[in-house]
Amino acid sequence: MTDPSDVLVTGDRIELRFPARGDLIVLARLVTSAISARAGFDIEELEDLRLAVGELCLLTLQGSDARYGDLCLELTVLGDAIGVVCTLERAAPSDVVAPEGAEIAQLSEQILDALVDEHGRESQDGFVRAWLRKRRGGNAE
Amino acid sequence: MDQEFRIEEQVDAVPPVIAVSGEIDVATAPQLRECLHRVIAQGESTIVLDLLEVTFLDSTALGVLVGGLKRCRELGGDLHIVVADPRIVKIFEITGLTNVFTIVDSLQAAGRS
Repeated sequence: MTDPSDVLVTGDRIELRFPARGDLIVLARLVTSAISARAGFDIEELEDLRLAVGELCLLTLQGSDARYGDLCLELTVLGDAIGVVCTLERAAPSDVVAPEGAEIAQLSEQILDALVDEHGRESQDGFVRAWLRKRRGGNAE
Repeated sequence: MDQEFRIEEQVDAVPPVIAVSGEIDVATAPQLRECLHRVIAQGESTIVLDLLEVTFLDSTALGVLVGGLKRCRELGGDLHIVVADPRIVKIFEITGLTNVFTIVDSLQAAGRS
């Protein structure tokens, strides 16, 4: 039986901030799994959200020189949904073209299209923000 | 706990097999890219990529696989993907890559015994 103290409810918000390095995106995925489970998402939805948040982080990092930046992940329980906002701060546009960069961004978009209900991305002056929203019991595909 | 990322090359096999286990993501995908490039540089144009023990795969990993497939096909070969976990198969499906790769669910089906 679930301990009521483990359950997250509407309005609960969790923030995670870490250096914007690809090898640390695993932290975002781990936190997302834990939050999703506590917000009542089933195992398949949890796996979808874990993958989607990883892609959100990748999209946020795309095209930026994030060596000195931070990634901030904010997860909020919104009724039967979870909203996730990922922001990249203190980074500059990158002049290095990553291998398969454009192709990977397109794949990220396709994955998000299939797995979440809404998502988007905006950038301005080294500040990048990407967000998603996924409903529990929804059918994003 | 998640399985540790590992790559094992069976270059004596025909076609050669690259077996990957654990999570393939932005942190580990470069190792897979380097491995694929090395095997192709050894003159192999058809490769079997065994993903049966892979527990997670993101767009970076898919990008590496697509890059590997292009190189193989430029040389007249192919990149066969072996995957059985429905969660991993789903990622290929939602990105439309089931129509791009030759995907099978066992090494036997990939032409290995």
